[in-house]
Amino acid sequence: MKRLAAAVALLGLATVTACSGGGTTNKSSSGGGGGLFTTIDVNRPGLEQSAPANPYAPKGNSFVGYNAMNIAWVKNHLTDPNQALPGIAASWEIAPDNSAITLKLQPNAKWSDGKPVTAEDVKFSIGVAYTQGSTAFSITPGAAGAAAEVTVVDDATLKITQDMANPSPKFARGVFDTIVLPAHVWSSVLPADFWDKLKASRGDGADAEKAREEILALGEKVLAFAPPKDVSAGPFVLERVNPGEALLVKNKNFFNAANVAPDQVKFLNYTGNEQIWNYLTAGKLDHSAFVAAPTDVMNRIKAAPGSDVIKGYSPVAVGLAFNQSKKPYDNVHVRRGLAHLINREEVTKVASPEGGTAAVTTTGIHQKAAQAWIPDTLGALEPYKTDVAKAEEEFKTAGLTKKDGKWTLADGKPWKVSMHAPAGFSDWLSAQENIKSQLIKVGIDAEVVTTADFPLYLEELDAGKYDAGFWLMALGPAPYDIYQRLYGRSNGWNNIAGKVSHSPAGKNGNWMGGPEEIEVDGTKVNPGELTAKLNSSTEEEAKPIMAQLAKAANQDLPVIQLWDYVNNQFVNNSRFTGWPTDDEILRSGAKVLLSGVWIQTGMIKSKS
Amino acid sequence: MSATLIPETASATTTMRRNFWSGVWRVMKRKPSRMAGVVILVGFAFMGAFGPMFFPDHLPGDVNALTKPPSWEHWFGTDPQGRDVLALVITGSRYVLLCATVTAVITVVLGTALGLFSGFKRGRWDTVLMRITDMKLTIPGLPLLLVLATVWKFSSPIQMGLVLGLLGWGGVARAVRAQTLSLRERGFIEAARGLGLSTSHIVGRELLPSMAPYIAMNMLISVTGAVYAQVGLFFLGVLPYESDNWGVMLNLAVFQAGAMIQPNALGYLLAPLLAIMLLTLGIVLVVDAMDEIFNPRLREE
Repeated sequence: MKRLAAAVALLGLATVTACSGGGTTNKSSSGGGGGLFTTIDVNRPGLEQSAPANPYAPKGNSFVGYNAMNIAWVKNHLTDPNQALPGIAASWEIAPDNSAITLKLQPNAKWSDGKPVTAEDVKFSIGVAYTQGSTAFSITPGAAGAAAEVTVVDDATLKITQDMANPSPKFARGVFDTIVLPAHVWSSVLPADFWDKLKASRGDGADAEKAREEILALGEKVLAFAPPKDVSAGPFVLERVNPGEALLVKNKNFFNAANVAPDQVKFLNYTGNEQIWNYLTAGKLDHSAFVAAPTDVMNRIKAAPGSDVIKGYSPVAVGLAFNQSKKPYDNVHVRRGLAHLINREEVTKVASPEGGTAAVTTTGIHQKAAQAWIPDTLGALEPYKTDVAKAEEEFKTAGLTKKDGKWTLADGKPWKVSMHAPAGFSDWLSAQENIKSQLIKVGIDAEVVTTADFPLYLEELDAGKYDAGFWLMALGPAPYDIYQRLYGRSNGWNNIAGKVSHSPAGKNGNWMGGPEEIEVDGTKVNPGELTAKLNSSTEEEAKPIMAQLAKAANQDLPVIQLWDYVNNQFVNNSRFTGWPTDDEILRSGAKVLLSGVWIQTGMIKSKS
Repeated sequence: MSATLIPETASATTTMRRNFWSGVWRVMKRKPSRMAGVVILVGFAFMGAFGPMFFPDHLPGDVNALTKPPSWEHWFGTDPQGRDVLALVITGSRYVLLCATVTAVITVVLGTALGLFSGFKRGRWDTVLMRITDMKLTIPGLPLLLVLATVWKFSSPIQMGLVLGLLGWGGVARAVRAQTLSLRERGFIEAARGLGLSTSHIVGRELLPSMAPYIAMNMLISVTGAVYAQVGLFFLGVLPYESDNWGVMLNLAVFQAGAMIQPNALGYLLAPLLAIMLLTLGIVLVVDAMDEIFNPRLREE
């Protein structure tokens, strides 16, 4: 589940698309003079006319932030994962030990059909979330940070407790990032005895197993559910969808409707980045989230009338990850040698000049978050400056030999660095093409190989088919999430019910195949167990562990951290203003379309 | 055949050949565009065969000159890796042209052989072969290629040419058969048969030469078809990333460099297009010349 969540979050970022938008012709008239807000849904290229207004349907016409609401909108804090802007919940209280969260719903929250949004609706939505397996509402036995009890205190209050057998400090985040659905419309998807079934699924044995299967089977029903018409608790309601655009109109019943500036929102259809560049250079979008774009295109976008780019922090980095079961990458000196050879500044300049900052060194953490987590350790780490002499020294230590200007493996066989990336990830491909050039220049043969799409790429990577490939990492803000990218399942450590077990390379998804123990400062540490500890540590407890893990990653190099992403938000001031610049609200949950959040909280103002 | 006839035949052939080449020269001279066509085709053949030898295996990129517009130093500008676009077109020509050649050879050899055999034999063989050809013609090329591309990487131009060739011979086979059916009833074939000449002589010496121009034209046209097909596949991005290829250049120009949005990448987009256009132009001009050479009625003496 966590993997899925990560993949989804990453996909959103890495596929280079964007979020909501800006810029339109102000022809629409619907009174009030709020005008039309134009944007795109970064998570879903290609609008589907017949898709239902179901936020869980893969192509559903439900846009989280616009016509679908979360309990709350999680913020992008550097270290605290549990900060959020109010959504359906107006306020909340988190128990100091993270054991429970009490939600107070918006007193005036109403569905677009006039019915009030109640605690029962939220409980029902949590039930639906269980069928999809979210972070907090997971039926996997022993999953970290899972909820134990959901209690409706009164019509507007809800208490959710955490299963303290395997607690997580980001439990509240998991709760916040849950979509709220109208129970009176959706009631048919969950059977009357759902909560009993859920209880039954918690135990061991055949009965529990059967109950889990039944709940998972309900998931299919949820994905396919088509409400007869959109009933939304958000600031907008779906009006119609055609192949070119989806039109949403203001929800008069929305609790903060008075502060919602636009009367209508249009989501434009797109199939690739290139189309989004077109919209942006034409000044058509009022807002779009991150889209990778080459410098010249970026300059064109900036030159569009009213156009502006808000730069923020995005806790994602990309690294070249190695399959250490394959020679010569099992040798740490080879990895260090490569780290000394690859000029990260140059790679970033070629691949992601606007959307990334070259990594300071490999720490496993985004450089901005590293300032907060490991300020003292950062300076002491090996920076891996580009240094051919040092690299050659490392290669020699590893037993590689240079023959006729070409490096060969210890056994004399030719060495070719084979890097993989999914087709369509233009920045990754540019980067690998540049790395290839850099390596060939110093006598290391290299190639770039593409895979048809991202899911297939992850599948083949997982199956250990690649020598080396790009890997998203440093996925903050929660410290556990940051390091589980390096010392989690993909490197052999499985965290089940709070118990960490290590699988040998090639087993249980361990494709990195790194060593189980690494010597840091003279003592052997088990990085997977340290990472697991982060899952139940407070911020202060986590800091020394983070420092140790950063040192381990820096010297062991399971990946070479290449660049840290920059969160570019494209906005247009021609029709709307009030764009936030605060880093913390420039990024939110996996499915959230940010501009919807900004609009519903009243930040965005109409110019007219 | 008696031995005394041989010298005569030989000298007659030599004279015919001499007349043929002088005829070719005359036809060529009459329209300079035809000469241009030949020059273009020879140029492309040279580029595909020897061009890549003038460049290192891996073209060096200049990170300080990413996606630059055309200049004296870089005639068609540079790509997003800072490599010279002209050098990319030249090194990329080998894959494209080799694949096109393989396709053309397979199309023509297979199509002609089947068409001739079918048309000359007639009867059961004809029925069977033509039904197979019909079936082949019903297979839609592009969708099939798209499907094949998911399982086959086409890393070698010969593989690609093989597939395109096997997809393309149907039309040629049908046309050659029709031509054969018509020719085999003509007087000169009757006469050859009457003389008791062998089938292989009739097919090889009598039928084939009269169809040569048609076949040659088909061959050249299938070259353009093959170029379009493979460049299209690479442009659509269904085939793996291999930067030494015109189709990949087009794909990257549009989807990575943003050539439709910013003018700096226009050179990157136009260079492979220009190459394809020039190649097509060369083929069209040569086909025009061939038409006249082989079709006496078009000859204006």
